[in-house]
Amino acid sequence: MKKGFRFYIALWGAKAVTVLLKLLRRNASFFPGKFATVVCPGFIGKIDKPKTIVAVTGTNGKTTVCNMIEDILKDNNYTFIDNRYGSNIDAGVATALISGVNMKGKAKKDLAIFEVDERSSPKIYPYMTPTYLVCTNLFRDSLMRNAHTEFISEILTKNIPKETTLILNGDDLIASNIAPENKRIYFGIDRLDTDGDKCENIARDIIVCPKCNSKLVYDYVRYNHIGKAHCPNCDFKSPNIDYLVTNLDLENMKITLRNGDLQEKYDLISDNIINIYNIVTVITVLKQLGLSSEQINESLKKQKIVDTRYSEETVNGKKIITHLAKGMNPIACSRVFDYVRKYKGKKAVILLLDDLHEAEKGSENTAWQYDTDYEFLNDDSITQIIIAGARYLDGLVRLEIAGVSKEKIVYQRDEITAVDKLKLDDVETVFILHDLYAIKLKEAVKTKVELMLKN
Amino acid sequence: MRIEILFPEFCNLFGDMYNMRYLKMCVPEAELIETALDEVPAFVNEDINLIYLGPMTEKTQEKVIKRLMPYKERIEELIEKNVFFLFTGNAVEVLGKYIENEDGSKIEGVGIFDVYAKRNMMHRHNSYLVGMYGNIEIVGFKSQFTMMYGDNSSSYFLQVEKGIGINEESKLEGIKKNNFIGTYLLGPILIENPLFTEKVLQAIGAKTDIALKEDTLAAYEARLNELKKLRK
Repeated sequence: MKKGFRFYIALWGAKAVTVLLKLLRRNASFFPGKFATVVCPGFIGKIDKPKTIVAVTGTNGKTTVCNMIEDILKDNNYTFIDNRYGSNIDAGVATALISGVNMKGKAKKDLAIFEVDERSSPKIYPYMTPTYLVCTNLFRDSLMRNAHTEFISEILTKNIPKETTLILNGDDLIASNIAPENKRIYFGIDRLDTDGDKCENIARDIIVCPKCNSKLVYDYVRYNHIGKAHCPNCDFKSPNIDYLVTNLDLENMKITLRNGDLQEKYDLISDNIINIYNIVTVITVLKQLGLSSEQINESLKKQKIVDTRYSEETVNGKKIITHLAKGMNPIACSRVFDYVRKYKGKKAVILLLDDLHEAEKGSENTAWQYDTDYEFLNDDSITQIIIAGARYLDGLVRLEIAGVSKEKIVYQRDEITAVDKLKLDDVETVFILHDLYAIKLKEAVKTKVELMLKN
Repeated sequence: MRIEILFPEFCNLFGDMYNMRYLKMCVPEAELIETALDEVPAFVNEDINLIYLGPMTEKTQEKVIKRLMPYKERIEELIEKNVFFLFTGNAVEVLGKYIENEDGSKIEGVGIFDVYAKRNMMHRHNSYLVGMYGNIEIVGFKSQFTMMYGDNSSSYFLQVEKGIGINEESKLEGIKKNNFIGTYLLGPILIENPLFTEKVLQAIGAKTDIALKEDTLAAYEARLNELKKLRK
């Protein structure tokens, strides 16, 4: 694509803005790209790009997957550009591309790893052809932004370039069917002992065959629409998996991954199914990029889920576990609730799930709570639930509708003083489940729980 | 007491199905009939006290229209007979004249109400609402790709105090004809509006009180106060 005068004005201006922002110690991971795309429409299409581009999209897990891919690549001395510290929309991608070219607009690196927001597809893919596009999964997300999975999968299908090879979650019947004409590679996890015949989740976004409307037959259900299914009346079915976990050994924290004739073992860094999917995704991408299983596994072992997403510590013999539970994201919260109920021993749960931005604007739309499996918190092993924050009364009603006894629930507006009512005698673990924007609040609550346990 | 939920395998977005679960909590003896899209709706041949249809995807709207079209006269008859209907989110659009796509193409609706909807798939409208239903203040949220047009001045559900009506220029929200209520409000509106739910229970002849009354009322009052403080 011809660059032209406007392109260079946009590029040089963006580079100057980057220097200025850095001198002012401001974040330079969004505005330079925004500036460039405003000055020069189609800027992403005109700028020179690395030869290999990996784009990672999907409802849940894209940040974790990108971070792990990048850390393992770095550990193996690969150099690349990324938008790790920037936004995952077009401006963030443009900023990363700008950082990866010289003043003549020539690419300095051969590889790029980009996290891409699904809704930004129309602003990115018409101008940039990823070598690989990874889709971790497609679930219900913020209803205000993403509406429903049909809308998001159509956006992806419409905008993904034909030349891009897709790396898809083959256990997800929605994600595995985007852009059906493209070359594709599937990853997945074979049937587990914990899989069932019936779905126990509220949200299921593919119940009937998208081809003929017949009710799908699930060979097994893992959660929501994750599992294996086929249509009894046409050829629609879950795909054959290229990178398949054939053995999940949680006792020794290892997986066996089959790819063709190869059977390889990898270490797990988390026993949570959502993170196991993330790890399988990462291995699949890195194998496609040419890393050996030894290279991957040696670096994988050093990985850790970042503290803002998961942390655990023991104080006076009791555990405190913090776990990200993205508010307004029903499946992310449901997975965490499921993890909590299945976690060994008695536990108390502190819920900090309000979207603080929405709370500031007035009143959060809590419809998402009714797509979320609060019923999982109605479990004998959970002895107390503390719900606090702006929407504490809505949370109370939701828990009661889920069947949780009101006697078990502490509900009040102020999050910090609510912790005073925590009953620690009978529990082995205190879970603090928090929204993405509540990191500071989570830390304050955690500090208070630590103090209570020390005293 | 018989409540029919239409096409729950499709029309179950945004937690709306909990409106019916909540009604069941309020009226434990109620029979919930879940009718799949490939089945003949129970209301066609049987007496039903409340018929519910929740929000759906755009493709599903076309399937639902096709399914309900043969029963247009029956639906009109039931509306005249004061049978209670509750259609939430974009469900009400299927009973309009048509739904217009961005390219001008039109999907013919069942045609019971003299209104139509226009889609704008790259602009999702999100807003909150405070409106009057008789002397009851209703709170709720909208999240939609469409706006509705047509004259609902003699058949609206809510007089809007904060937020928008059937489109951005309107202050009259939804459609109400006898006991048919179609509203763009979505999510658990019966849980969020216990005073309205009391009216629904009365209208369908239930003799029970609302479930979790004290706590739903407290949550409702809190939200109402928050929304009233907002400017628009």
